[in-house]
Amino acid sequence: MSFELTKESKLVIDELLTRYPNKRAAALPVLHVVQKQHGYIPAEAEPLVAEILEVPPVKIREVLMFYTLFLQKEIGKNHLQVCRSVSCWLRGADRIIKQINEKLGIHDGETTSDKQFTLTEVECLGDCEHAPMMQLNDDYIGDLTAEKVDEIIGKKGQ
Amino acid sequence: MPTITIDGKELTVEKGKTIIQAADEAGIDIPRYCYHPGLSIVGQCRICLVEVEKMPKLQVACYTPVMDGMVVHTQSERARKGRKDVLEFLLVNHPIDCPVCDQAGECFLQDYYMKFGLYDSKMLEDKNKKSKAVPIGKHIVLDSERCILCTRCIRFCDEVSKTNELGIFHRGDHAELLPYPGKTVDNPYSVNVVDICPVGALTEKDFRFRTRVWYLDETNSVCTGCSTGCNIEVHTNKKREYKNEGRRVTRLKPRFNKDVNEYWICDEGRYSFTYVDAADRLGVVMKRVKGELQESTWAEVMPEVLTALQSAKENNKRIAVLGSPKMTNEDLFALKKFASQTLGVSQMPVTVLPKEKPFSDDFLIREDKNPNTKGAGYLGYDTDHKATRKLLDDCASGGVELLIIFHHDLEAGFETELVKSALSGAKTVVFVGSNANTTSARATYILPSCTYVEKEGTFTNFAGRVQKINRAIEPLGDSLPEWTIIRNLSRKIGKALAYFEAEDVFKDLTKNTAAFSGMSYSAIGDGGLVAEENGKLKQGDAKAAAQKTETATA
Amino acid sequence: MSKNGKILTPLIENDCNLLENYKKFKGYEAAKKALKMSQDEVIEEVQKSNLRGLGGAGFPTGRKWAFIPKNSQKPVYLVINCDESEPGTFKDKYIVSSATHVLIEGIIIASYAIGAHTCYIYIRGEYVEPARRIEAAIKEAYDAGILGKKVLGTDFNLDVYVHRGAGAYICGEETALLNSLEGKKGWPRMKPPFPAIEGLFRCPTIVNNVETIAYVPPIIQNGPKWFADMGTERSGGMRFYGISGNVNKPGIYELPVGTPLREMIYEHAGGIPGGKALKCVVPGGVSAPPLRPDEIDVPMDPDALAKIGTMIGSAGIIVMDEDTNLVEMLMASIRFYHHESCAQCTPCREGTGWLDKILQRMLSGGARERDIDDLYEIGDSIFGNTICPLGDSAGMVAKGYIDKFRGEFEAYLSKSIAAKSANSPELKKAS
Repeated sequence: MSFELTKESKLVIDELLTRYPNKRAAALPVLHVVQKQHGYIPAEAEPLVAEILEVPPVKIREVLMFYTLFLQKEIGKNHLQVCRSVSCWLRGADRIIKQINEKLGIHDGETTSDKQFTLTEVECLGDCEHAPMMQLNDDYIGDLTAEKVDEIIGKKGQ
Repeated sequence: MPTITIDGKELTVEKGKTIIQAADEAGIDIPRYCYHPGLSIVGQCRICLVEVEKMPKLQVACYTPVMDGMVVHTQSERARKGRKDVLEFLLVNHPIDCPVCDQAGECFLQDYYMKFGLYDSKMLEDKNKKSKAVPIGKHIVLDSERCILCTRCIRFCDEVSKTNELGIFHRGDHAELLPYPGKTVDNPYSVNVVDICPVGALTEKDFRFRTRVWYLDETNSVCTGCSTGCNIEVHTNKKREYKNEGRRVTRLKPRFNKDVNEYWICDEGRYSFTYVDAADRLGVVMKRVKGELQESTWAEVMPEVLTALQSAKENNKRIAVLGSPKMTNEDLFALKKFASQTLGVSQMPVTVLPKEKPFSDDFLIREDKNPNTKGAGYLGYDTDHKATRKLLDDCASGGVELLIIFHHDLEAGFETELVKSALSGAKTVVFVGSNANTTSARATYILPSCTYVEKEGTFTNFAGRVQKINRAIEPLGDSLPEWTIIRNLSRKIGKALAYFEAEDVFKDLTKNTAAFSGMSYSAIGDGGLVAEENGKLKQGDAKAAAQKTETATA
Repeated sequence: MSKNGKILTPLIENDCNLLENYKKFKGYEAAKKALKMSQDEVIEEVQKSNLRGLGGAGFPTGRKWAFIPKNSQKPVYLVINCDESEPGTFKDKYIVSSATHVLIEGIIIASYAIGAHTCYIYIRGEYVEPARRIEAAIKEAYDAGILGKKVLGTDFNLDVYVHRGAGAYICGEETALLNSLEGKKGWPRMKPPFPAIEGLFRCPTIVNNVETIAYVPPIIQNGPKWFADMGTERSGGMRFYGISGNVNKPGIYELPVGTPLREMIYEHAGGIPGGKALKCVVPGGVSAPPLRPDEIDVPMDPDALAKIGTMIGSAGIIVMDEDTNLVEMLMASIRFYHHESCAQCTPCREGTGWLDKILQRMLSGGARERDIDDLYEIGDSIFGNTICPLGDSAGMVAKGYIDKFRGEFEAYLSKSIAAKSANSPELKKAS
């Protein structure tokens, strides 16, 4: 399997590289571009990114495995990232997680067999005033209730 | 220069040094895992915590620079507790499998536990599981569960070998040391990561399960793999010889020499000792009888060789000698003296260049795979490959009656046809060497010589540094040091060489060879001395030599 | 300034992510003023205002700026820390999303003061929409001649870039942030050198929190005394308090430094739902050791909180009512540190995991008599022995809960052990 950057991705990366005095500094932004293009960062992309950034591949792998937002495998269409930190926990994050566990039959890090949902228990997303909350792909959804979770799962699962 | 106090001891330290460096110089032992003087300082493992007056927190000795008036306590209650706590943390997810771990006996976890751990573990939880017994290179096995993530090996691969194979992946206590997928740690210096691993995470395939380290003896020596002359320790297992499986040298380890190899050796050099007990090792005197080489004895062969020499001399037939840059300065000096005084040989070539250019780099691995070419040059040998060719041409044209060859496998450097006609051109071919090859196979006599771990002597490295090798094991079978063989010949013919030990040869050598003038074994010590063409020692070295001789005599 | 005395709140309420709206609030007038002053004068004004870092550490901002070497041969960088990830903290999100231009104006002033011509805004990767808003505001500013070459018509040049993180709390620690910005793992650096001397790309660098920089334009506009007078003796002005957990009106509240904690909970945040009693409150994000109900008359001022053994941190207040299981809360806090520990230094890497395992076991019916002491000792062993404050926080939090609520932990333990013994006579014998 090989990985190639699209023309659009290449253009974005070219611009990103102009922002820093050395290429390596663009590692996070470039990995974001790869993930946006491909949905996750396949192993085949690592040497390519390393080449662009002029660093040994091992340094890229260290980076992408350090940061939780970088994914190394395909996940579901809807990524349910439920906050489990203190403020959300105080307002029932555990119940929300349990509800998803039972409803979709997936636990932390798992994806439904139809590839519709992936559940990740995450730490504080900085939206404590709307606890309990989750991030659905890029968007924050706060003040979760059992009904709201049912609604999300129902709507997105179709 | 700042003056600091460590444990009540006042020290004046060079500015910019850190506490641990100051302590090392003063012989005060501060534990360390991540700190290694040959690598960058990262302050990660935290085992070197010390108390510094006027600083509220404990400080890591490895990273904290000395400042004038600093007062450091390494043994205060707080410092001891800090280190004990760090040790306990290091063992939280460590399997504590010392009974089956090859590092046992030279493990910093064991050592420090005995020194200042000695607590009852309160860790009752399940340990994290990680990769075990993963071969990560031709010579290296990784046990991630034993790894304490000190990053020494990573820094070695990034900073010294510059090959970047290893990384730490994931975070927290799930973080794991691994090579980049598909990559192996097979750089020319790879096994150094095993040396510097302070725990049993990285072990050497060649050494695993071979012996417990406490059965090993260590002898200081010099690597003979190339002309760099890396300082090494030869580890041998004489206490449990039945464990050796016919291999008397267990392993080589690099020995620090700031002027030569610092802390490192290359893999090629590390495994270069295998010829010592290889299948082709020569341990028996041999002579050719009816075209076949047969086992013989010194008692039988020596008079025959002497007779051959004598007859050649008396009949004014030419004797030719081909020395070897694998021989020590002592061997070469004795040979030169004997050859010129007694045999009337003046041309003394030593060099056989291999047909293909061997691997070399700009670090430790040199193209010249001989330990003593430089010394041969100092001692008046002709180190030009062409001189050897001329000698062979002479033999081939029938101009040589008796040829003595030391060590060389001539076919490695010359066309087979030329070698064949040269060796058949001489009436008698005496081969002196430690290992058989295509040349010894064509010799009339084979006189077995010791390898460098079986004898004493000195080598002169490419930069003119004269360094000492020591006997780690007994000579194999009939083998003798080359200078002894020459000495024995000299007793029966011409002027006898009055040497009893290698040091006697060296003393004679220093008196008669400008480059070595003023040197002695005690002055050479463990670090070596630099010889110079004009016969003068470098100023610093001369001083050190004088001092060392003084202390040695005192 | 609006009629109710708030400084940044009106900007947030009036969508000052758009230049048009910000202009109505005298937008970029402060920057014009500052660019006419000398660099030292700007630093002095900020110093006099008693503005202290509002990201967590509370270091005086003007003093920090003054650390930048004069006439540096290397480029100087300004880095804005918007890696807001301390549980209980969500204020910067509002500023960058809806008062974006005041941040950009603050960046111009700060960059000018320290001699930086490049600024990176490091924003946590999860803040996708806020990052988009910053990008849009930056574009507006470039188009209007506010950023880029000849800032606001002066000879000063400044480029500002958004740099998205990718999920790592540790990158809020300034040296980890710098490593992350250089494309590396977010492993904190050993200090010294401090960033002001050797920071981003080994050049002099100032790292400031979003909120801190957002207060700079009003300080320049209204003078340092105006700001200093609002706060306490050593800590000037207003700041945002985020309140979450068991309160009726969770959210952000911009109030003077020194507002009493009780007032925050019972007046501004509307008290506890169902009129329940307060059990415990964390005053400055999870890393601040918790307080008991009898301690909440403390003013929310860095020095006053430090005096009672906790800290103002990011001023993220987390309120827990009487029904809260504190063992669970400690677990949720420690699990966070365990999840976020970078793995670099031993006590944090191993200690946070160990604490987490003990707490998980306690909460799943396997409590042991000595667990409380073990938690406390492990916390104590981590504290003070790590490279960065993450380990310290984990240690302090473990100790803090037990110090303040030992009775509660003991009660949980006895109940749990009793339940276990009743179910398992064998285990009873063994213990």
